[in-house]
Amino acid sequence: MSSANEQTTSSANTSDTRRVNRLIKRLAYRAAKPFRWLLRSSTLRLTLMLSVLFAIGMAVSIFLALTFGRETVLERVDTALTSLASTVSVNETLDQNLIAIVRPLDDLGNLPNPFKRTVRKGGGSVYLGDDFNQFDAWRVQITEDKDGTPILVALPIEDSEDALNLLSGILWTTAALVLAIALLIGVTAGLLAQRRLLRINGALGRLANGELTARTGVETSSDDLDDLARQLDVTASELERLVTQTRHLSASIAHDLRTPLARLRAQLEMLPEGEERGAALEEAGRLSVIFDTIMRVARIEAAQGEDGFERIELSEFIADIEDIFGPVVEDTGKSLVLKDLKSGAVTADKQMLIQAVANLIQNAIVHGGDEITLFAQANGNIQEIGVFDNGKGVPEEHFDEIIKPMVRLDSARQTDGSGLGLALVRAVADRHRAELELSQNKPQGLRAVLKFTK
Amino acid sequence: MRILVLEDDSQLGPWVTSGLKEEGHVVDLFEDGKEALIAAMGQDYDLLILDRMVPGLDGLAVLKSLRASKNKTPALFLTALGEVDARVEGFEAGGDDYLTKPFAFAELSARVNALGRRREGGSSDPVETTTLRYGDLSLDLVARHCERQGQTIDLMAKEFKLLEYFMRRPGRLVTRTMLLEQVWDMSFDPTTSVVETHISRLRTKVDKPFDGELIRTRRGEGYVFGK
Repeated sequence: MSSANEQTTSSANTSDTRRVNRLIKRLAYRAAKPFRWLLRSSTLRLTLMLSVLFAIGMAVSIFLALTFGRETVLERVDTALTSLASTVSVNETLDQNLIAIVRPLDDLGNLPNPFKRTVRKGGGSVYLGDDFNQFDAWRVQITEDKDGTPILVALPIEDSEDALNLLSGILWTTAALVLAIALLIGVTAGLLAQRRLLRINGALGRLANGELTARTGVETSSDDLDDLARQLDVTASELERLVTQTRHLSASIAHDLRTPLARLRAQLEMLPEGEERGAALEEAGRLSVIFDTIMRVARIEAAQGEDGFERIELSEFIADIEDIFGPVVEDTGKSLVLKDLKSGAVTADKQMLIQAVANLIQNAIVHGGDEITLFAQANGNIQEIGVFDNGKGVPEEHFDEIIKPMVRLDSARQTDGSGLGLALVRAVADRHRAELELSQNKPQGLRAVLKFTK
Repeated sequence: MRILVLEDDSQLGPWVTSGLKEEGHVVDLFEDGKEALIAAMGQDYDLLILDRMVPGLDGLAVLKSLRASKNKTPALFLTALGEVDARVEGFEAGGDDYLTKPFAFAELSARVNALGRRREGGSSDPVETTTLRYGDLSLDLVARHCERQGQTIDLMAKEFKLLEYFMRRPGRLVTRTMLLEQVWDMSFDPTTSVVETHISRLRTKVDKPFDGELIRTRRGEGYVFGK
């Protein structure tokens, strides 16, 4: 029992740890959020890139300069050592004031160990932890004196080492300073540009959401970004003017057409009852429906924003559609099949979506075969809703053509429908930033799918 | 009811007016917004029918002025605009209903009656009945049961709703638009034969097996239940 308890505790601990880890990650993500724009700023990215290049260049040249500098100095010392060795004799008493060390190889005596190691290597530089004869850096040569006795000669190189170190210090500091200044300028420039880009971006975003009065409000003209912002404002004003104009135009077209239609209807209704009156009223009704549809396409195309949008569960939605249109399909001797493949939800205007799907079904009734499939599915984060039939289908080269208003491929206009069907579907798709995709159904027929990315 | 009609069209105005008079209403027709406003301020109307675009003062401005002076008479807008924006504007100005041209008179009449009932403070169903009856047909709204001549009729949900809508309006013309809006909650014509299909199915169940046709088609106009 106790072991079971332990197990639970340990598993609780792991899950706790995992939770804490997740929390930390999320917090880190949030904390980093305000700085994420830094990487998205192109100015800053350029600065970073140039800085890295500059740093690499500086590092290489400083390294080369120091290496060659040291080589030159050592070469000179080596020459001095050779000439020194050829002028002294180890067996003579040497001037004790001589800075150089001159010793026979068989009596190195009190020389520190690093000197002795150099003998085996045949010479080179010696760096000591403590000073020896007041210096801690020596150049050693193993050679013979003028009598031919094998000796060790050494000269201090501390001064030149110090000079080289000072030089390297200066070079590295300068490089670091220049780099820091470059980065500072980059970040500042990035920040300045970013602030204006944010304004431009914000204005564009609001425009895209249908807020046609959105402007950047930039009035100065100091550089290319200002010009861009001002140009954007000019374009937005023009867009607003055009949209307003279109709305007025469509309103006045509507008024000019609806009034005579209303009069026509009134006159027809005043006629005595009879077959002809009915037929005329029917025709008048059809006329208003077509007109309404044209107006609706225009309205949907002109509309913006997400007023009237709601969350729609596609599985429920297609069930509703089947409820409404299933009997209609059956009455034409065809069948409507539902296929719900783990569909999710979309944010959409329900009336518009019903209308779009109704048009697709109507299309399939008129042009399709005996089975019409209504399906909804989730494809990654894309929600799809569509209709496919097993009819004759449409040749692929006509796909672009049939979504234009008033186009019908069966040029003999025997079948019903005003030719607005797919144009309306496309308008609805555009309105929802969804995609209307037409493709061939297998083995035959047309597939029309609305793809919602949100 | 005493109704004010503001409509400048020389044909539509008289048509609406005479139609409403035939239904027993008292109607005053105005062609100018200002005159209509003065009249509406001076007299007590039960309903205002206002065209959106008329000379003088448009319908919207008339209603705004009236609402500003605490006049609460129900108002129905007639419009050739039909845009959703225009519709919303109408409701914001204090309008109670909205009808787009062209319209069938039956539809105007139905809306006028609905607004009239609201004015009287009653619901659309003055006496809360649980069972609707017409001749040998009865529809139990609680038990969701339908029978004719003692025979039970199985109805689908939409067919039930459709029959209920008809039975509440015996003898009156019901248009396609009214059915789409009320039964299917659709504000547009789906251009498929949704209404026709469901009506034909309803007929097969309610009318065909029995003597006496209850649902009749008025070509180009709509349907009439009973009489």
